[in-house]
Amino acid sequence: MKKLIINNNVRTLRFMHDEMSQKDLAEKVGVSRQTIVAIEKGKYSPSLELCFKMARAFNKTVDEIFYVEESE
Amino acid sequence: MTYQERKTLIDIISSVLIFGIYGFIVYQRYLNGAVDTTDVFVFWSRFILILIPITIVAKIITVIIFTIMNSIVTEVTGGEEDDVNLVDERDKLIDLKTVRNSMVFFSLGFVLALASQLVGFSNHAFFIIIVVFGLMGDLFGGASKIWYYRRGV
Repeated sequence: MKKLIINNNVRTLRFMHDEMSQKDLAEKVGVSRQTIVAIEKGKYSPSLELCFKMARAFNKTVDEIFYVEESE
Repeated sequence: MTYQERKTLIDIISSVLIFGIYGFIVYQRYLNGAVDTTDVFVFWSRFILILIPITIVAKIITVIIFTIMNSIVTEVTGGEEDDVNLVDERDKLIDLKTVRNSMVFFSLGFVLALASQLVGFSNHAFFIIIVVFGLMGDLFGGASKIWYYRRGV
């Protein structure tokens, strides 16, 4: 079975939103800045609730922020 | 090193110091474990029941000192201060995994302690194994917490 790797465009989307800081995004979605750092680095897969909160913060859909890659 | 990693490291160090100092004092008082064997259960009950409040009070003091020192250092170095009171879903997940790891380690110690009785070790050995594995479980949990914060969950 192929392993799914969840990636994201959070860094790009922050850049496109007037270079929104990690701290600002963290405050908007109610998590710590370290959690945003971990998500951007792909070290943490957020809950569905947090995904939707981030989608609202960027005014995007969830699949515009997160996407899946398959690996062998 | 992040706030959570620093806090966990301080927690590990304080656990070792508290247990080390307390163990040393008890050892000095009851030289070389020369305790009347009829009092084994009373001795270890007292040892553990006194250790619990001492650990709680010492850890509260440690957290207060650490929080003050962390604020001072962050202000002096001009670093970005995180919201130290915020516990989000990632912190809760890491806490759960950490507690699981500690409990697995402690359970292993408990089984070993039971096994020690089967092979004829003394009652002291039973309690020593439980207490030591309790401490080691705490340390293992702390180390795994730092690991999860660094490597991801």
